[in-house]
Amino acid sequence: MARNLLKRDSISFFLEILATFGKLHGPILTDDGVLAFRPLGSGNDLLLEYSRTLVPPKKYLLPPRDAVLFFAPDEWYHQLAAAVPETILVGLHPCDLQGIAYLDKVFLGDRIDPLYRARRTALTLIGLSCEPDENCFCGDLSATETHGCDLFMHQSPGGFNLKDNTPKGTAILDRLTPILAEGKSLPAVSRTCDMAAAIQLASVRSETHGESALWDEFAERCLSCGACSLCCPTCYCFDIREYGALDGESTVRLREWDNCLFKDHGEVAGGFNFRKSRQERFQYRYRHKYLGFGPTRGIASCVGCGRCRAVCPVGIDLLELFKERQDEKQP
Amino acid sequence: MRNSRDMTIVPLPATIIGRKALSADTTLYRLALESSEEDGFDFNPGQFVQLSVPSGGEVPISLAGPPRHQNSFELCIRRVGHVTDMLYQLLPPNRVGIRGPFGNGFPFSEWAGRNILLIAGGLGIAPLRSLLYALLMQRGEFGEITFMYGAREPSAILFKEELAELSGRKDMHLFVTVDFTKEESPGGLTCNTGLLPTLLRGVNFSTTDTVAAVCGPPALYKCLLEELQDLGIPAAHIYLSLERRMKCGVGLCCHCAVGDLFCCSDGPVFRYSQLKGISGAI
Repeated sequence: MARNLLKRDSISFFLEILATFGKLHGPILTDDGVLAFRPLGSGNDLLLEYSRTLVPPKKYLLPPRDAVLFFAPDEWYHQLAAAVPETILVGLHPCDLQGIAYLDKVFLGDRIDPLYRARRTALTLIGLSCEPDENCFCGDLSATETHGCDLFMHQSPGGFNLKDNTPKGTAILDRLTPILAEGKSLPAVSRTCDMAAAIQLASVRSETHGESALWDEFAERCLSCGACSLCCPTCYCFDIREYGALDGESTVRLREWDNCLFKDHGEVAGGFNFRKSRQERFQYRYRHKYLGFGPTRGIASCVGCGRCRAVCPVGIDLLELFKERQDEKQP
Repeated sequence: MRNSRDMTIVPLPATIIGRKALSADTTLYRLALESSEEDGFDFNPGQFVQLSVPSGGEVPISLAGPPRHQNSFELCIRRVGHVTDMLYQLLPPNRVGIRGPFGNGFPFSEWAGRNILLIAGGLGIAPLRSLLYALLMQRGEFGEITFMYGAREPSAILFKEELAELSGRKDMHLFVTVDFTKEESPGGLTCNTGLLPTLLRGVNFSTTDTVAAVCGPPALYKCLLEELQDLGIPAAHIYLSLERRMKCGVGLCCHCAVGDLFCCSDGPVFRYSQLKGISGAI
């Protein structure tokens, strides 16, 4: 028995102590009825049971618009060290934790992105167990609940069993001890999901589903709205744009979210487009998501959060590709 | 580059030290990095830089000149978008920004002893000009060198004077063609009329133990690659430099993937054998 049980009636103390480590953010229901990660407090109440936020937590690491460089005639192009406040992100589901772990691989891999690193270092991740709904398909893709989170909250009948995974998490847990009760350590839960297994298999086999008639069907219905990429926890395509200031001299260079379903994503100077059709753009997204590009080759980045299925306005579900393959195997 | 700033992220200032119009819309720029040290700005032919025009933005541009050249380098730029529009307003000694060099370049040191065929279409001459000069700098190491260049029409032929000079060299073959012409002769340069494949079929050059390097618009690849293989050059010996809109240059922004390869960091030079079977690669 260890003092690791956070009882439900101690949640407000828990949040108070957490707030001493940094600014608290977590999932809330906004006034307009959207589930979103927002600053907690002043009417923004942390949700400990929720399906999924509309926009994933990638926004904390890769803001939709991020100033990467500044230019002034006498200072040339230069970076400004961004002041990143310590932020405690509490209530992250395993799929979102896995999404962040994937982004870490991309932006903190062989080539470290300094802006990402600054934000990531200032972020403390507190995970929360969840129950899948009809759109989820995480299964084993998210079986490792920790995924590099600092502290994990495992819901149990008595409250939440806390487990620290990093020195940061241990420091927080030490401070929490006075408000914790004795609890059992829970065995790690392994969730299985046929779809997750099928995705892993397709990834290992570099399966492109090139012959599938579904591509035509998807392309027929797709509106190129890009919602599926925007709300994906692992989609990180970005554009780089430069905006001159009104003084006519200084400028700011921004890194902005881009979207591979937009028509100009594959365009080159002069107007030639390497991914002119929706079908080509879909296949590009599929390839990136499930088979990986460059250093992430062979790594499926889909975490099974179900956001893309939930938000697509015309009901396109890439999982049908995997289902089709499964049906072939089981005539 | 020994520099306190990371040149893959922050553009370094480069001074425009020369500017020469090559055609109505294309200009050759000579640039010198202000902070470069005595060993200069080194690159491999086929690599590219990201060129910044302050308040305009950034565009990927092939290095067009010989490597290791007097502490300066050349870029051959067509005025085709808003960044290059702004660039055209600049004159020596105005400054632009440079990140890079990026990408792999042509692995020409592996081509020693082989015959080499270079085929450029339009602006595709830029990286191949760089490669040609690098080959000529070590001329003795290679077999026959043949350079074929196709332009839309006589007025679109880039590097006319240089081509005229190269045509007089005894240690290489030069063939120029234009798609169509209204004029009799494009200013002193002997020139064929017809698409590049007509040159392949019409002139003699070695096709055994030959390496081909090709750069041009997608339409060029479509009509040329099968012909090269029919002539006996295997796909693994055909090198292509691909064009994509590379935003970051370091394999992050995901605009330039070709199959599971990044044009910016795995390329932009690929063997044709790497690209076969990748839909949308060419």
